[in-house]
Parts: sequence; structure tokens; C-alpha cells
Amino acid sequence: MSDDGLLQQRWVRLGASAAVVLVVLGAVGSMMFGWDLERLLTVGFVNRSLQMATPITLAAIGGLYAEKSGVFNIGLEGFMIIGAISTAGVLFALGGTTPSQGDIWIAMVAAVLVSLVLTAIFAVLLIDYQADQIVAGLAVWFIGLGFAPFVASLVWGSRNSPGLASIDNVTVPGLSEIPWIGPVVFDQSPLVLLTLVLVIASWVFLYRTRYGYWVQAAGENPKALDTAGVNVTRVRYATVLFSGAMAGFGGAVLLAHAGNFVGTGDTMVNGRGWIAIVAYLFGNYNPLGAAAAAVLFGGLDMLQVQFQTAGIDVPSRLVNLFPYVIVIVVLSVWGKTRMPSAVGESYDQEE
Amino acid sequence: MSSVSDTDESKSRLERIAGYLLDATVLERIGIAVGATAFALLIGLVIVALAGYDPFRFATQLVVGAFGSERAIARTLRFSTLFVLAGLAVAVAFRAGVFNIGVQGQFVVGGIACVMSIIWTAPYLPTGTVGGVLLIGIGVVNAIVFGGLYGALPGALKAYAGANEIITTIMLNFIAIGVVGWLVNGPFRGEEATSVRTEQLPDYVAFPQVVFSDPNFSVVGFGIAVLSVIGVAFVLTRTRYGYDMVTSGYQATAARFSGVDSKQTIVATMTLSGMIAGLTGAVFAIMIQGSYTDPAGIGNYGFDGIAVSLLAANNPIGVVPAGILFGGLESAGSHIQIRSDVPVQLINGIIGLVVLFVAVPELFRMIGARMGLGGDDR
Amino acid sequence: MSTDNSTAVRLDGITKRFGDVVANDDVTFTLEEGTIHALLGENGSGKTTLMSVLYGLYQPTDGTIVVDGEEQSFASPRDAMAAGVGMIHQHFQLIEPMTVLQNVVLGHEPTKNGLVDEEAAREEITQISDRYGFDVARHLDTPVRDLDVGVQQRIEIVKSLYRGADVLILDEPTAVLTPQEVDALMEVMDDLRADGHSLIFITHKLDEALSAADQITVLRDGEAVGSVDSAETDERGLARMMVGREVLFDRLEREGEPGDPVLTASDLRVSGDRGVEQVADVDLTVREGEIFGIAGVQGNGQTELIEAITGLRSIDDGTIEFGGRDATEMSRRERIESGIAYVPEDRQKEGLVQEYDLVRNALLGNQTIEPFVDGALVDWPFVADHAESIVEEYDVQPPTTTSEASSLSGGNQQKFIVGREIERDPDLMVASHPTRGVDIGAIEFIHNRLIELRDRGVATLLVSSKLEEVRKLADRVAVMYEGEFVDIVDPGGVTEEEFGLLMTGHGVDEEVDPGPDLGIEDEEVTE
Repeated sequence: MSDDGLLQQRWVRLGASAAVVLVVLGAVGSMMFGWDLERLLTVGFVNRSLQMATPITLAAIGGLYAEKSGVFNIGLEGFMIIGAISTAGVLFALGGTTPSQGDIWIAMVAAVLVSLVLTAIFAVLLIDYQADQIVAGLAVWFIGLGFAPFVASLVWGSRNSPGLASIDNVTVPGLSEIPWIGPVVFDQSPLVLLTLVLVIASWVFLYRTRYGYWVQAAGENPKALDTAGVNVTRVRYATVLFSGAMAGFGGAVLLAHAGNFVGTGDTMVNGRGWIAIVAYLFGNYNPLGAAAAAVLFGGLDMLQVQFQTAGIDVPSRLVNLFPYVIVIVVLSVWGKTRMPSAVGESYDQEE
Repeated sequence: MSSVSDTDESKSRLERIAGYLLDATVLERIGIAVGATAFALLIGLVIVALAGYDPFRFATQLVVGAFGSERAIARTLRFSTLFVLAGLAVAVAFRAGVFNIGVQGQFVVGGIACVMSIIWTAPYLPTGTVGGVLLIGIGVVNAIVFGGLYGALPGALKAYAGANEIITTIMLNFIAIGVVGWLVNGPFRGEEATSVRTEQLPDYVAFPQVVFSDPNFSVVGFGIAVLSVIGVAFVLTRTRYGYDMVTSGYQATAARFSGVDSKQTIVATMTLSGMIAGLTGAVFAIMIQGSYTDPAGIGNYGFDGIAVSLLAANNPIGVVPAGILFGGLESAGSHIQIRSDVPVQLINGIIGLVVLFVAVPELFRMIGARMGLGGDDR
Repeated sequence: MSTDNSTAVRLDGITKRFGDVVANDDVTFTLEEGTIHALLGENGSGKTTLMSVLYGLYQPTDGTIVVDGEEQSFASPRDAMAAGVGMIHQHFQLIEPMTVLQNVVLGHEPTKNGLVDEEAAREEITQISDRYGFDVARHLDTPVRDLDVGVQQRIEIVKSLYRGADVLILDEPTAVLTPQEVDALMEVMDDLRADGHSLIFITHKLDEALSAADQITVLRDGEAVGSVDSAETDERGLARMMVGREVLFDRLEREGEPGDPVLTASDLRVSGDRGVEQVADVDLTVREGEIFGIAGVQGNGQTELIEAITGLRSIDDGTIEFGGRDATEMSRRERIESGIAYVPEDRQKEGLVQEYDLVRNALLGNQTIEPFVDGALVDWPFVADHAESIVEEYDVQPPTTTSEASSLSGGNQQKFIVGREIERDPDLMVASHPTRGVDIGAIEFIHNRLIELRDRGVATLLVSSKLEEVRKLADRVAVMYEGEFVDIVDPGGVTEEEFGLLMTGHGVDEEVDPGPDLGIEDEEVTE
């Protein structure tokens, strides 16, 4: 592992900052407003936080692969929207408003495929035609913001879908009765568990396989990789495709947990793609770190529900902004994340 | 001063301007903008056809909805006013190499600052035209100040803390919309308001109705947009501050060589950009809304401003035609929403496609070269 | 390996042109197997170009490449590598955050069950490392960026060996090393030779070529001047081949004496980009009507020193006085305004905005100076006329001010920058490598302008890695080595060889290489 020292520092910082935030919140809350902390920190909260973190994690892993290889995929948010609407559309086509669990899985696979096809076009523009990565990424967002509600209106006559179906938890009888661990691990959304597997797999792939080496090298010193006999362009195509597919999958998971599509405002994705970018920056481009950061953001996102159930009267509108504020603080305090040095530069094979 | 006689000087200046206009790169940029728009519209029509509607009817409605009647033109100009101003705010920042994606948030902050400052000071000022002008002045100044501050914040975070402005400004958009949404639903909610909004502005706080009689559009608003464009173009091309900013955008190392303080320039750029965004918010509040509602539902003018600016190759003058084009699209959208079954969100998708194609000038250079349209000067 | 003198590499009649510039002109070069062959020449003499042709980075305009008896045509470094040619670039091709092991195996990773087989890699690298006594093995899990330059260089060598290179090209390997590291490198090279490898050693340092190589080929102005056995020559002979003779008498006699000090820097300490001290305790004074030259191998702190003086880099310690005022705390802009002109080292990135036309480039640096601006307003007609006059007076081709800077050739870009900076009417001109990559005509032109400037009483600080340039123009020359001034000398009283020795730090306080002694002042090396 190349970044052991640095990584450890980051983990300490990440954990410390999360702890500080929670302790301060808890202290202030319980002293000033008489909050009942036991009712805040519930198993349900942990589960909801994990479910919230899942789409962010998936998109973050995709995004960090692309950026590690030297392409800044700023379109994650857009691809998440595309993933969500594709899942909803296919789901509706398969089973109307009462699709089966199998339909959900098929719909998610279809959504990943749709995202892949669109990412392929994006990748060609980015890599072959040297499109401006920032502008093209923003365009993907705009396209998602426009076409997803458009499709929703075509299909359901409204920007939102009716209730479709959300995915059932996988429950292991017996084991799920274990206090705390049981309901979190053995009565959990299969998508959360699948994401956990993907996080670990993407870490192993990035740091333990030759292809992972190439991804890292392509973003740091493409010329060195080229002189080592590896085609830089091909590596970058692979990572960009992966990033789009993962973001699309993230959107699909978001929908599968929510059970219906929301296309008003900034759609149901509502900035999670952007938070995914911050998550991997905060996690120092490490899949494990990115996942941890995503869990932190997911938890912040779910505080609002928690406050409500605990009967604490804080305007939900303001509590919802918590993750965004934290993102800004995080970026300002740890703003100087070392980016891979060749990010944003197109690489010309013939020199 | 130059020793050349006046006539000579003005002649050579004319020649120079002509030279700029005929500049291959300017022509090329215009070509790319037109190509991108045409290509995006074409894809839009194909989608309309695939969705089972009549694309020809849709195309006709686009034109009629945008420019088909006096009402349509007024509506187009109403949207164009905001697009030109928002596009200008984006263009200033992008020109200087700073990616201010936060125009939407600065627009919202400016808008609420404008409305609340007018509502709070109105009781102390006379009513009628004099009071109206004063209040508009107060509202606009406040909008500019608060919009500028809300832009300066991510600028300072970028310059002095290294925080990526793309992400901080996007986060600040969400925050502005959330906080203002909470304010208009809580502390700032009008006492007699039946819906979620602030109190109404006094009715004498309005732009005069000249030429068009549309309750939501005044030529004065469009005039403000055009004057702002001229002002910004002047600052960028004729003053040394503009030169510093634009040079930083083109080549930061050369700007540093020439004595530009890059950190100050980033903050200054973001502030100016935010100020224009705040002004946009004021025009929106005074000319269109007359109060302030939940910003989650007022339209993405700040984001569309990005598209406008990119289509104009971040050129302040180019923002005017680009803004009018997008205003026409938006206006046609309103028309289509009433007159046809095609979901109006398609327009936003088409705008996204325009941005995508603008990002890939190489694509159009290639197409241009294939078609034999002067691709040989590259 | 066979010990008979079979040929490892033969370059025959290699010519390489870049546009109008001939970088290599009909060069023939032969590397015998199991030997070290030094390629000696000044900066810009075409050494690196020639080797880039051999390594497949450039395709030759003319000529043939024969490796191991087979004629080759390398389309890319990959082809060269496949034929057993490896190159260690001056700028290492390493991936800084990745570990040594990952860097070495990159592109040639051994795998087991889909994962990189670190054990196998470790074993093979350790084997190579041990064979040549590299201390690379213990760093295998360290990120490259945490290692010294010397170790990084050895990693590059190990990488080439791991990829199976028989022929190793080392491009100025000693340029970035400390003397101790140089000694260690020499041992490594000996070991490699003993093991049957053939090495090409690019350098411009005479003593290194002599002590390391079996054969020496000297390049000058892109042509091969000759090849000699290192046993049959000495530094003096090599210097003569390298420099030629005409340059030495080229010194221009000056009229008048230098006046009062314009720039005085005392106890200057400056750090580089990585926070490592690059300028260590430098004192310098530049007087009116004087050209003060700074010579030295690149990367010995010249860039940082110049940037500190021009206001582009903050200093750690010391003072700078300019025109009688304390300038230590002055910003870059204040320094421009108070009369410091600067021809920057990197004209592409700093000196010009590539996408601006020459009119807008004429304002660069003049944004706050009247009459270019009147208050906040730019007087564009005046700037345009000014650009016009620069183009005319400094012979910029093509003579139009409306063309983008990027469309100009390097020489014309440089003439425009020199013109703009001189026309600023400065009290101090700082010129950093003012003629690098510029054609002969433009060199002559720029030199004459700098001399005119001197004769007008302007103080000039000139940095150049071209020795003949410093010798020709400067009144006094400081030789910089490892962030310090080794000595400040009168260029007329010092020979090229003595300069060469000073530039490698000899003559400070150590007695290195007693071979060629310095007591040869009375002996004219020239005619």
C-alpha cells in the first residue's frame, strides 16, 4: 500500500472529525434542548444511514477510479439521475405499480446497462475528442435534470412516479435476533451488503492487481505508463465506463431503496453525486476511505428523521443542509488533497 | 499619448476591430455555438418523434411560442433578461478561470436580500414614484452586496484554503435554497400570505411598463441586463483589472509573471460574479415575483446561466444572443406546456445537450473540416 | 557475455530536423558491447536528441539504427525496449506516490491468481539489486516520492534491467546528484559494464566523461566532432573539441566602467517548490552598466535565486536592496513598477500568453504603468503602437501584431519578450536563459541588445547554462553550485576548463580530483 502513513492520518482525522461533530451535537442537544440521546442513536438510524450511504459510496468509487486514472468525471450526479429514472422506468414496464422483487433486480441491471451506453458516448467525447471535462460533466448533470423528469412525464404524466416497489431486506432467521449486530448485518438490504463487497473488491483491485497499478499510473504519469508498454487511452476508457456504470448503479440503488422516482427540484438524487465526489476526496481516493466518508454523510442526512422520531423540534429544512455544510468545512480544512498529477490532461499517444 | 493624428488613430482602431470580428477564432466560436444548438435541437426533435409526437408541429410551436406574438416576445425577453444577467455572472468567472457554479445560490441570496430590505425600509420612506425608485435602489444595492458576499465566500475558500470552488459553490447553492426556503416559510413569511412567500412588495415598487404591457416584464429590466453586459465588457476589455482577470483565466503563470496576485484575483472575480448574480436576483424579484417564494421552485436561472455563458464562449457580448436564444427556448416551453402534450422538461434536456456539444469544439472542427468549411486554418 | 569487441549499437548518419532547426547533422556513433561510451557536449549540442532517436522517442529524418547487428526502426520506446535498449531520463519516469516495487514492475507485473505476485517481484528485484550492490531492496515498499534523487535514479536503472535492457542510456545522470552520489553512480556503472551491459553516458562534464567512460564522442552544434579513447585524451583536449576555438576570442571589449550598485542581495536563502533549500546564503551586487553573469549546471539554485529577485518567490532569509531602497518585502508588481525587467526562463508559460495576440501581450507586466494605462483604463491604441514598434525594432517575424503569440517561432517569441522588457526602460534587467532554443541569428541579435542596454548604464543579471554566452557578455561571473556561489570571477581571466571545474563545485574548499590543476592561468588554451 502506497499511502499507508497518509491514509492512517486521514482515517484518524476522519474518525476524529465525525466523533467531534457527533459529540458536540449530542452535548449541545441534550443540555440545551433536553434531547434523549438513546432515542437518537437507534438501530434504525444506523440502518437508514447505511442505506443512505450506499448510493453515495457506489458513485464515489466509480468517480475515484476515473480520477485516479486522470479523468475528472464531474458528471456523477447526472449519471445517478439517469440510473434512477432508468430503474424506475424499467420497473414500471415490468410490473406496473406492483413489480416483484425479481423485477427490481432486472431493472437495476438494465439501468446499469443504460448508464454504460451513455457513458460510452461521454467517454468518446472526453477521451477521443478531448472535450472539456468540467463542462461536459456539467452537461451530463443538466441532461439528467432535463430528461429524467421528461421521461417521468411521458410515462406517468407527472415528474414523479407512483409508488413502485422497494427492495426487501435479507433476513437471516435467528441471527437477526442478536441485539444491535443482528438487525444491522442479518436483517439488511442486500444492496448494502453488495456495496460492502464492491467496496472491498474495488480496494483489492486498485491496490493489488496489475490493472489497479495501471489505473494509478495513468493518472500520475501517463508517459511512464506508456513507455512501460501499456495503452493509457484504454485504461482511461475502462475507468470512465466503470465510473458511469457505478454512478448509474448508485442511482438504481437509491431508487430501489426509495421505491418511487421523484423528479421535482433537483430530482431525488439531490446532490448525492456531488457529495460522492467530496466523499472520495475526503477518503483520499481510497475506496475504503470514500465508503467511510459516505457513511458519515449518510448519517448526517438521516439525522432529520432521527430528530423527528425523537420528538426534537428542529426545522427539517435546515437539518437537511447539514451534509452540505460539512462538505464545505471538510474541503476548506482538508482542501489540499493531492490530486493525481495528470488529472484533466488529455494524453497524446504519439509524442 | 500616441502621436498619430486623430483620424488615423480612429481608422486604425476601426481596422483593428474589423480584424477582431473577422478573426478566424471568433467565426469558429460562432460556428461551434450554432452547430451545437442546431445539433441539440435536432436530437430534441428526434426524441419528440420517438415519443410519438409530431416533431414538425413541435418545431412550429417552438418558433411561435418564442417569437409568434407580442405576448410571446415579451415573455421571451422576460426570460432573456434573466438568462443574459445570469450568463454574464457566469461568464465573468469562467473568463477568469474560476468555475462559479454557484450563481444560482448567489441569485437566491441576492433576491431575498432585495425583497427583505425593501419590505423593511418601505415604512420609513414616502410612497409613490419617489419612494419606489428609492426602494428599488436600496433593494438592488442590497442584492448586489449580499450576492457579492455569497460569491466572495467560496472565492476566499479557494484562494486561501484550497477548497475546490466547483464543489463548494454547488454546496452553497443547496444551502442558499434550503435556508431561504426555510426563511420564507418561517421568520420571513408574510402575515397575510396564503402560500409560502414573503410579504408582497409595495405596488409602487415596480419597473415602469414601456413598449410591452406584460405584468412580468419591463423593458427597463432588459435595459439593466444590456447595460450590465456593456459595463462588464468594458471592464474586461478596457481596464487593467479586466486584463488581470482575463489573463489569469488564460494563463495563470503568465499573469503571475506580470504581477497579478492570483489569490486576490480569485476573490475579486468571485465577488464580481456574485454581485451580478445578486443583481439578477433583484431583477427577478422586482420585475417578476413581487415577493419571494420558496427558491426550490423558482427555476434554475443560475444553472441555465452556465449554459448561456458556455454557448457564448464566455464572451460577455456573446451572452446577449445566447441569452435571447435560451429565453426563446424557455418561452416556447411555457407555450408548449399549455398547447401541447409534450412534457416541457424536454427543453431543459435540450439545453443540457447544447452544453455537452459546446464542450467538444473538436467534434465540430472535425465536422467542419469534413464539410470543407475552413477547417484548414488549424 | 562475449568479451570480443562486437558492436552493441551503431548509429549511422543520423540526421534529425525539427522544422528548420537541425538538431543532429549526419551523426555516426558506435557503442561497443560491454563498454561505457560517453556522449559529451554542451547544452543544446544535440546529445539528448540523438539518444531520443535511439530510444524511439523521435524518428530520425535520415540515417540508420543498428542494435545487436540488426537494423531497427523504433516507432516508440516500447520497440526500443523490446530490442533491449533502456533509457534513464533526466526527468525520471517514475510514479511518485507508488512504491518502488510497483514502479519497477509496472507494465511487466508477475501475477498469481489475478493479483500481482509481490513475492515473485520482490525476489527478482532483490536479485537485480543485490547483484549491483544497489540498496534498493530495502525501499521496496516506500513511495518513490519519499526517496532521494540518487535512490530514484537507481530505481530507474533497476527498472530498465528488470525489463531486460542490455543497452542503457543515461541522460545527464549526474546533473541531479551530489558528489557522493556521483561516486556511487560511477561504481554502479562499472559493475554494469563488468556484467556485460553496454552503457551510453550523456554528460557535459569533462572529468566525469574521462573517469567513467572507455570511449568519448564529442558533439558540437548537432555534429559529431570526433570520438576518442578516454585513455588517450585529457580535459584540455576534450574542452577544445567541445567548445571549438572561435568562441573564446568572441569576448567583446567594453567601454566605460560600471557605476554604483543597483541591486544588492545579502545572505539570501530561498527554498524550492518542495520546501528544500535551493539558495544557500548568496550575496551579490549588480552595478550600473554591468552585466553580472551566473553560470552553472542547471538546477543548482539559479531559478530560485532569479525568482526571489524578481519577486515571484518568497525568500526564507536575507535582504534585497534595489536602487537604494529595501525591496525585500516588495511584491512582484511593485518590483516591476520600480524598474526591474525580467526575461523569464519559460517564455511559453510565463513570458507570453499564448492565446493573446502581440498587442495584448505587449501589455503583459505593464498593466499598472503609465502611459500604457491611464488610471484604471488601458490605452489600447498606445499599447498597439508600442507592440508595433517592438515588432519593428526587434525584427519579430511575421511583422504583424495581430497574430497569436502561439503562432510565432521560439526565436521570434523570445525577441518579442526581450523587446518588451527592454522597452520598459528598466534600471535592472534580469535575463534568464535569454537565448535558449533560439536560432543563431536571433542569438546574435539578443546579445547585441543586451550589450546596448549595458552601455546605456542598465544593470543586468544574466543567467545562462551556456558558458560561451556568459563569457561573451558578462563583466563578472558567479559560478553557482548547490545553491552557493563557488566563486565570482573575471570571465576574461578564466579558461573554459577552469569554468568547468568551478561548475562542478571544485575549488570551494575541497581538493577533488587533483589531475588537471588550476595553475594554468598563463597558458592560453586558445590559439
